[in-house]
Amino acid sequence: MHAHRSRLQPHRTRRRIVGVALLALSGTLAAACSGSGGDSLSNAGIDRETTVATQAPVTTTGASTEPGVTTAPGDTGGTDTTLADTTVAPPTTQPALLDSLPKCDVSVLDAETSPVEITFWHGLSNENGDKLDALTDVYNNSQTKVKVNLQFQGGYNETIDKYLQSSQENRPDIVQLPEYMVQQMVDTKSIVPTQACAESADYDMSAFLPEALGAYATQGVQWSMPFNMSVPVLFFLKPDFVEAGLDPEAPPQNFQELLDVSKTIVSTGAATYSLALDSDFDGGGGWYIEQWLSKGGNFYADNENGRAAPATKVLYDEAPGLELMTYLQTMVKEAGAVYVGDNASGQDTLLQLANADAPAAMAVSTSAALGTVLSVLGSGLIPGITGDDVGVGPMPGPDNANGALVGGNSLYIVDKDPAKVAASWDFMAYLESAEFQSEFAAASGYVPVRSDALDLEPIKSVYVNDPRFKVAYDQLLSAADAPTSSGPVIGPLFQVRVVTAAAVADVLTGGDPQSALTNAAQQANDLIANYNLANGG
Amino acid sequence: MRRVGRYALLTLMAVIVLFPIYVMVVGAFKPADKLLIDPLLPTNLIFSNFGDAWRFGRLGRALWNSLVVSVLITVAQVVTSVLAAYAFVFLRFPLKSLAFGLFLGTLLVPLEATMTVNRRTMEDLDWINSYKGLTIPFLATAFGIFMIRQVFLQIPKEMREAAQMDGLGHFGFMREVAVPLSRPTIGALALFAFLSSWNQYLWPVLITTDEKYNTVQTGLKALKQGGFSQPNVLIAGTIIIALPIFVVLISFQRQLVRGLTAGAVKG
Repeated sequence: MHAHRSRLQPHRTRRRIVGVALLALSGTLAAACSGSGGDSLSNAGIDRETTVATQAPVTTTGASTEPGVTTAPGDTGGTDTTLADTTVAPPTTQPALLDSLPKCDVSVLDAETSPVEITFWHGLSNENGDKLDALTDVYNNSQTKVKVNLQFQGGYNETIDKYLQSSQENRPDIVQLPEYMVQQMVDTKSIVPTQACAESADYDMSAFLPEALGAYATQGVQWSMPFNMSVPVLFFLKPDFVEAGLDPEAPPQNFQELLDVSKTIVSTGAATYSLALDSDFDGGGGWYIEQWLSKGGNFYADNENGRAAPATKVLYDEAPGLELMTYLQTMVKEAGAVYVGDNASGQDTLLQLANADAPAAMAVSTSAALGTVLSVLGSGLIPGITGDDVGVGPMPGPDNANGALVGGNSLYIVDKDPAKVAASWDFMAYLESAEFQSEFAAASGYVPVRSDALDLEPIKSVYVNDPRFKVAYDQLLSAADAPTSSGPVIGPLFQVRVVTAAAVADVLTGGDPQSALTNAAQQANDLIANYNLANGG
Repeated sequence: MRRVGRYALLTLMAVIVLFPIYVMVVGAFKPADKLLIDPLLPTNLIFSNFGDAWRFGRLGRALWNSLVVSVLITVAQVVTSVLAAYAFVFLRFPLKSLAFGLFLGTLLVPLEATMTVNRRTMEDLDWINSYKGLTIPFLATAFGIFMIRQVFLQIPKEMREAAQMDGLGHFGFMREVAVPLSRPTIGALALFAFLSSWNQYLWPVLITTDEKYNTVQTGLKALKQGGFSQPNVLIAGTIIIALPIFVVLISFQRQLVRGLTAGAVKG
């Protein structure tokens, strides 16, 4: 995956236009400029379907491997040092940060005489998109103050690209973005923190899962509101457990149990492989590494995962990271785990369970896949495995603390006209309501962001009728009450995941864990340093 | 005997080439649960996949948009390429070869290099979410100019002189002689222009935020996101999108062949 961000600041735009004119005048300049001018714009993340958009230019050399650092249009280009100043500020001065950020006054909506039109950019396709459409119609028809225009942007990566590329006036009023975008969005200085609106509206957040809110809060500011959440869980085949003499209702809870179970499965011949492992940057290569470090009570990056102050380096090359890598290597070498590569289809680990020749008995995948898995099996696409054969357990970690870091998407309010900000909050309050969350979680398979949604139909029955769907929710709830339970916020987190994934791939194919980690951490730290430099850190 | 062997070989190759298309067509008509069980047999056929693809990918609007954009780009590219190539071959003006070199130089600049700044230009012009933004940056290409120039160069200077003697001006010569002689190349250029604009993905995605301006590739992408559970729907969508390409290919193929044979026998 080549996905580098173009580094373009507004005051350089005009120069760049001249630059392109010059390029047209001399082909020989082309090679030199293509490196800095703009590589592929797509920042592939959650979804794997972006290869079309992420082809690196053929003539790009050298410079294209530079760390991608994004400074979005609309930035003040480093003249605003508010955020930088807080890097040395002790936590007690944190409320000052919120005071210095764009304001939100929800009461201005009451003064509006005609409906305020707002635009919502989202990346939900197919059934999930249809559900959002339907529920938004309900909102539009229920009141006359706000009219929401939903605009599907083609996927999460497309939404990111378009948001960062657009000038402020061309941006939407609300935008849905993946969890790794927190720091970049903060650094665009283009948003109104949702906390400002929540305070203005006296909004009650007590029912929200603290983990859900915490994922999108840094330096004491709630930047966005969680919307659709997922976490990694363990998928396993119950018949294999039975055949191996294991209890299919008691999946392994921690690394030691996972190792023992794995050895039993392969030694009894219940399955060819025990566990399918991948090095997907959005899975086993990146996201899961963050999860496992968190489960072990360790930070992934300094400054409390970048949440007390912007992160300056990753910490995974230290002892806990080394232990983790060594463990993963042991799983492959001694416990029958199979490495399936970088999970190019996004489903390779799960497909390994259905492999007719050499199946695995267990795989870690996102909880959001469960609905798809069951519907695929229910449709009979995979002969020999039924939906009832699939068991779901929490993702095993270094010890029994089974918490998980929040994945998925959150909603940001864009700093525009005060009436639009107020209208956006009104709609957002609807999206965050227990009723909406219950409906949407039941339809999509995502985890609701608030506990009182579970008291409402339809999610109530879903969780009672099929407890497998509730595993992800319970896992989120069981997180330790510690700063390590909130994942890393790093500007170039996506790119950091990519270099980390390369190290994981190396380790899973027999490479030396320490040198792989040291090497990856070096690259990651360079990425972070460049990002911080470009963003006036 | 030799002919039999040749036909056998050609048939075999045709089967190899057509087999994936056959699988695709059959898959598009199958329910999801039968897709992997007997992917080759045309049994249990249903039509609902196409409806689902049409609906989920919002392909109706997308097809219309892609058609408008591709036709505009194709026509414009042919016109600009022919005019510019003619000037580069038959007209005399200062710095001609330098100018041509500069045109060619733009071929070395990949789309990705100019994309960010081009997008900003689109914003400044307020062409985001418009057909203008989708088409105008692609109305002329150095590739097209180069291609047509090469074929114009093969037209003997004497023909131009003869035409001049007969009283034909530049436009007359271009219309009556140069273009008819270059028909296969122009047809190839048109085909290429149509295909490449039909298949555009990154640019349309970047400069549209409103679904009204979605093109077919965006629609297909939307299908693919949920496609794991419904590969049959994705295949059906792919077929819907490929159909116009087939039509264009077949109609241009005739044009190409006619163009080729037109010059084969001196009349």
